[in-house]
Amino acid sequence: MQASRARLFKEYKEVQREKSADPDIQLVCDDSNIFKWTALIKGPSETPYEGGVFQLAFAVPEQYPLQPPQVRFLTKIFHPNVHFKTGEICLDILKNAWSPAWTLQSVCRAIIALMAHPEPDSPLNCDSGNLLRSGDIRGFQSMARMYTRLAAMPKKG
Amino acid sequence: MDSEEDDFYSGEAMDDDNDYYNSDDAAADYGVEDDEDDDDGYGFIEEDPDHDDFDNASFRRQQVYFLLNFKNALHFHVLSNSHILWLIGPGVFFLYLVSILTWCLLFQHSYTVLREADIKCQQEDDITKVSTVLSISRVDASILLRHYNWSVSKVHDAWFADEDAVRKSVGFLDKPVVEFSNARELTCGICFDTYSCDKVVSAACGHPFCRACWRGYISATVNDGPGCLMLRCPDPSCCAAVGQDMIDMLASDEDKKKYSRYLLRSYVEDNRKTKWCPAPGCEHAIDFAAGSGNFDVSCLCSYNFCWNCTEEAHRPVDCGTVAKWILKNCAESENMNWILANSKPCPKCKRPIEKNQGCMHMTCSPPCKFEFCWLCLGAWSDHGERTGGFYACNRYETAKQQGDYDETERRREMAKNSLEKYTHYYERWASNQSSRQKALADLHQMQTVHLEKLSDIQCTPESQLKFIIDAWLQIVECRRVLKWTYAYGYYLPEHEHAKRQFFEYLQGEAESGLERLHQCAEKELLQFLNDESQSKEFNDFRTKLAGLTSVTKNYFENLVRALENGLADVDSHAACSKTTNSKYGGGGGASKGKSGRGKGSGKIGGSHDAGR
Repeated sequence: MQASRARLFKEYKEVQREKSADPDIQLVCDDSNIFKWTALIKGPSETPYEGGVFQLAFAVPEQYPLQPPQVRFLTKIFHPNVHFKTGEICLDILKNAWSPAWTLQSVCRAIIALMAHPEPDSPLNCDSGNLLRSGDIRGFQSMARMYTRLAAMPKKG
Repeated sequence: MDSEEDDFYSGEAMDDDNDYYNSDDAAADYGVEDDEDDDDGYGFIEEDPDHDDFDNASFRRQQVYFLLNFKNALHFHVLSNSHILWLIGPGVFFLYLVSILTWCLLFQHSYTVLREADIKCQQEDDITKVSTVLSISRVDASILLRHYNWSVSKVHDAWFADEDAVRKSVGFLDKPVVEFSNARELTCGICFDTYSCDKVVSAACGHPFCRACWRGYISATVNDGPGCLMLRCPDPSCCAAVGQDMIDMLASDEDKKKYSRYLLRSYVEDNRKTKWCPAPGCEHAIDFAAGSGNFDVSCLCSYNFCWNCTEEAHRPVDCGTVAKWILKNCAESENMNWILANSKPCPKCKRPIEKNQGCMHMTCSPPCKFEFCWLCLGAWSDHGERTGGFYACNRYETAKQQGDYDETERRREMAKNSLEKYTHYYERWASNQSSRQKALADLHQMQTVHLEKLSDIQCTPESQLKFIIDAWLQIVECRRVLKWTYAYGYYLPEHEHAKRQFFEYLQGEAESGLERLHQCAEKELLQFLNDESQSKEFNDFRTKLAGLTSVTKNYFENLVRALENGLADVDSHAACSKTTNSKYGGGGGASKGKSGRGKGSGKIGGSHDAGR
């Protein structure tokens, strides 16, 4: 408990100090609970998520960093490895490939990388996975772009 | 006999005659059949049981000796099967080779039971081997072996084929990835605190982590399961292996213990030639040498199982049939459970009866006292040898027709046949199973309670009562074999009439032999247990029980062999029986037991023994 709190506090200070280091990621710690974090990440360019801003919720366990944080999308996203309803993410480093040397920041970077390179062979969103696996890139991209517009962009007017 | 043995040990006995070792066991081989002129069915035993023991012991010595010779590939012209020792001249060299093959298949133990200490020892040996040959540390050798499923030869092959590739995939680094030669303080990669150089530890890669974080990291992976044996540096981009030396240096005592437990388990579980004994609570492993046709192994805990499929031992039935049978039992067991509810009505007075004794001979409680066979519910008087009949209960076909000669009735019966056929075999399979469980319990009871009591009553040392234990062990084993013959029978093709007939004959004989033994060990023994004082008949009982044990043992061994070669004798048994009959002349005390229906039994073991 104490170790995880200390480590999170270090990460918190690091985030404060280097706020502009990574313009694509904005990590915010909950005001009252250092084990709850949210992040805003920008959709990577040259993907259907470009221009969107996606919100992630982090629930950090007491055994952190020996155990990985639980992360899910709060913003709806059409992606093979993200559950369409719950926002749960299927990413190896959040499960068995976790290493205590990862940070919340690096998890965000890994998620951005996952958005740019989906893994249709282990899909949480089967519709999305099937579009990619059947080679219907256009179909996938238009669906993903549509949901990005609907959910991840500020409403105009 | 002594002189024969001397000849044998000196290895010079090149008699041109086919001299053979004629133990009473050999003579007993075919005694089981003979009941027509020999009501008690054990007439062949006329020798002192102690002498019997001596023969067995010397025979065992000979087996061992023979094995040594065989391993040295000496041209030593001696043959052995379980009962007969032949000395054969150079003229029959071909026969010699064939026999050695058979002998090896049948009698060579192709497995070893490993205790925990043995496993540890073998593991250490393998690590030492790899460590010396590849000139790497023992820790690295252990990691390498684990990576290649503890196969020393695979490690060698891979290493010498492409050492760099192996080093890379396993995570052995030539030099550190990060250098901190002039840094005074280092930041732990997990807690991000700064420590002086002597407080941080790193694997070969040089990524620094503090001791507390290492301990936590190791603890997390160790508690995650056997994956901890493939531990790597915590840095996500680094693949440097972390071995037992670092575990020992950094982990808590509890985690160290768990880690070495996983290491030991891995040696058995990941190794292709070892498996744990599946018996509950047993901690032994079996090391099995490939290339033998017989997968039955017997653990030190006395559990017998098949190494191939780890079901309980099931000779003579093959693994595929066993799997099919077990699956079928699961699928239909609910059906069967109520069909075969544990009780049956007494055929005479119709009172429900639950079977709680091992053998099939049932006696209804007074006043009815009707004696009947549990399987077919027919009067026991129809089952005895005196009527000249056989134990007909295993005969499904006959049972179907008995008392039911009406053609239309039979045709209607055919529709129900499929389920009934299965019911028939399952019932017998299951009742032998429960008989076996009961026999195991009885054996235990005998060993713990009765033997001592009997020893006191009969004024006989317990060591001389071993024949009773032997009898019970034999019963347990036979019940197991008999049980599986019903699975065998179920899958024996319907159209192979000759085979089915022969099979049912063999099974029937085996069954009645076993019933006799079981009855003798269970019921007749009771009388001596209740005796007030020493009984004169006890010696007769000893002779009878020891005789029945040995006869039944031989019969079942032959049965197993006959079934294992797919009843190949069916077409040729007539020819074989002649050979066998002529071979067993002059068997000392055996002549009485052998004379009767020797022909019938000749069919069973005939071709095998003649072949050796």
